[in-house]
Amino acid sequence: MSLHEPVLRYLTSSPFLAASAIFIVGLISGYLLGQFVKRALRAIGLPGVVEGTAFERSARGLGTSTVGLLSQLVAFSVYLGTTIAALDVAGVLVMAAVLPFFAAFLPQVFIAVLAVIAGLVVGDKAALLVSEHLRGVKLPEAGLIPTLVKYSIFYIAGLIALNQLGVATRALLILLAAYVFGIIFLGGLAFRDLLSAGAAGVYLLLNEPYSIGDEIRVGDRTGIVQEVDLFVTHVENDGTEYIIPNQQILREGIVRIRD
Amino acid sequence: MSDLRELLGGLVSEVDAVFLFSPSASFYESFEDVDDALVVVVAPDDSVGAEEFVELPLEFSDVSSRVRYGVEGAMDQELVDDGDEIVCAVKTFDEDIDTVMRVKASNFSPSGVYGLFVNSRAEPAVIRDVLEVAVELGKKGQKGKPVGALFVVGDAGKVMNKSRPLSYNPFEKSHVHVGDPIVNVMLKEFSRLDGAFVISDSGKIVSAYRYLEPSAEGVDIPKGLGARHMAAGAITRDSNAVAIVLSESDGLVRAFKGGELILELDPEEY
Repeated sequence: MSLHEPVLRYLTSSPFLAASAIFIVGLISGYLLGQFVKRALRAIGLPGVVEGTAFERSARGLGTSTVGLLSQLVAFSVYLGTTIAALDVAGVLVMAAVLPFFAAFLPQVFIAVLAVIAGLVVGDKAALLVSEHLRGVKLPEAGLIPTLVKYSIFYIAGLIALNQLGVATRALLILLAAYVFGIIFLGGLAFRDLLSAGAAGVYLLLNEPYSIGDEIRVGDRTGIVQEVDLFVTHVENDGTEYIIPNQQILREGIVRIRD
Repeated sequence: MSDLRELLGGLVSEVDAVFLFSPSASFYESFEDVDDALVVVVAPDDSVGAEEFVELPLEFSDVSSRVRYGVEGAMDQELVDDGDEIVCAVKTFDEDIDTVMRVKASNFSPSGVYGLFVNSRAEPAVIRDVLEVAVELGKKGQKGKPVGALFVVGDAGKVMNKSRPLSYNPFEKSHVHVGDPIVNVMLKEFSRLDGAFVISDSGKIVSAYRYLEPSAEGVDIPKGLGARHMAAGAITRDSNAVAIVLSESDGLVRAFKGGELILELDPEEY
């Protein structure tokens, strides 16, 4: 009885002890939260998704993994928060002076780091997916496309991160806008014929005004239909095969020859 | 032991090319230093990154078809010449390469099995898919009973004009391609219908229930095969199509091209 009271009074009165209590609770909860994040990320299958990306590989080179880095990031921000709180309680730090700074800055740093990690992983993964799709195309220049996709995503991720940190990014934004506009405008220009052929092809495939084996005339080309796909129709006549874009067929009209 | 080495050494002496059939990466690497003979890999895909490569569209289960395809493919790609001597390292029983045989390139002609896949109008993948469907059908049959089927692949426009419908076409206004997972089931169900399946160059199933009306003049197929095979041989002679037949009586899958029997497979062996 005589021992309890002084101890209790000491516990409540001493700022150092309360601070260290906060600090210990922070350590434990940070560690637990980190483990929880790690497990949650594993459960949603993140390790399988990031497998084979450059970021994962370099993380593995450092003896950790993407999942490990993310969970450590979460744990670290909890440690930092509780450390500041503990220092405040201990009276070493004047909260009123540093709080606005940390409250404003810490979450932004956190999000910026997240954006960079996500950008690195997504960019690599997108490049992998694109190059897998292009593997059938045996053209050396096709290797440029995955790289372009990768760096576009890196660029956007970097832009988000810098924006979070409050760095002036207007020039970079204008560059991005010009880039996107160029892709859409030039892409539209380049794929104009394919788009209109595809639209016509949808009609031809759904309604089948003619089918394989029919004899048709388009313009001055007469022959037997050999194949209809989304973009072109193959019409064959005595060893000559006309491959006619579908929009041209719709524009010129189809003459079916029956006898 | 050295006598045995000398005896078997004759098998590989003075050869022009070594053909490795589906080698493992380490097995292929051990051949990298071979200077006096050309090393050719024959496999379904070029996983070892070989320079000289012949793609196998089908894992032929019998060794002679596999070797035949590989050598014919290499001749077509002009990797080997008519008079070349070739050593083939093949898998026969094991999971690894366990057989070595020596063949002469002059025993093969490029118009054979290789030409059936590569030099046909239809894409090689389409022919492979149709062969697989036929093999599957031959293995299982329709509800346990043996069935026959006739697939005409490629040059569909001409085939359609040389045939007439026996009934309504169940594939009208549909856009199914062989190789789609649903198709195996559909084709199995439709195989009890009479008549032929017509498949286009790109693998679209154009029609079922077709009665083929080619002129059977000058078609030379082995005697004893029935009307289905005769029709298959004749249509391939009359058009640029390839015909794949599953025989109802003996259960074999046969492929015809240009009016001739090119390939014979036993579904039970796959």
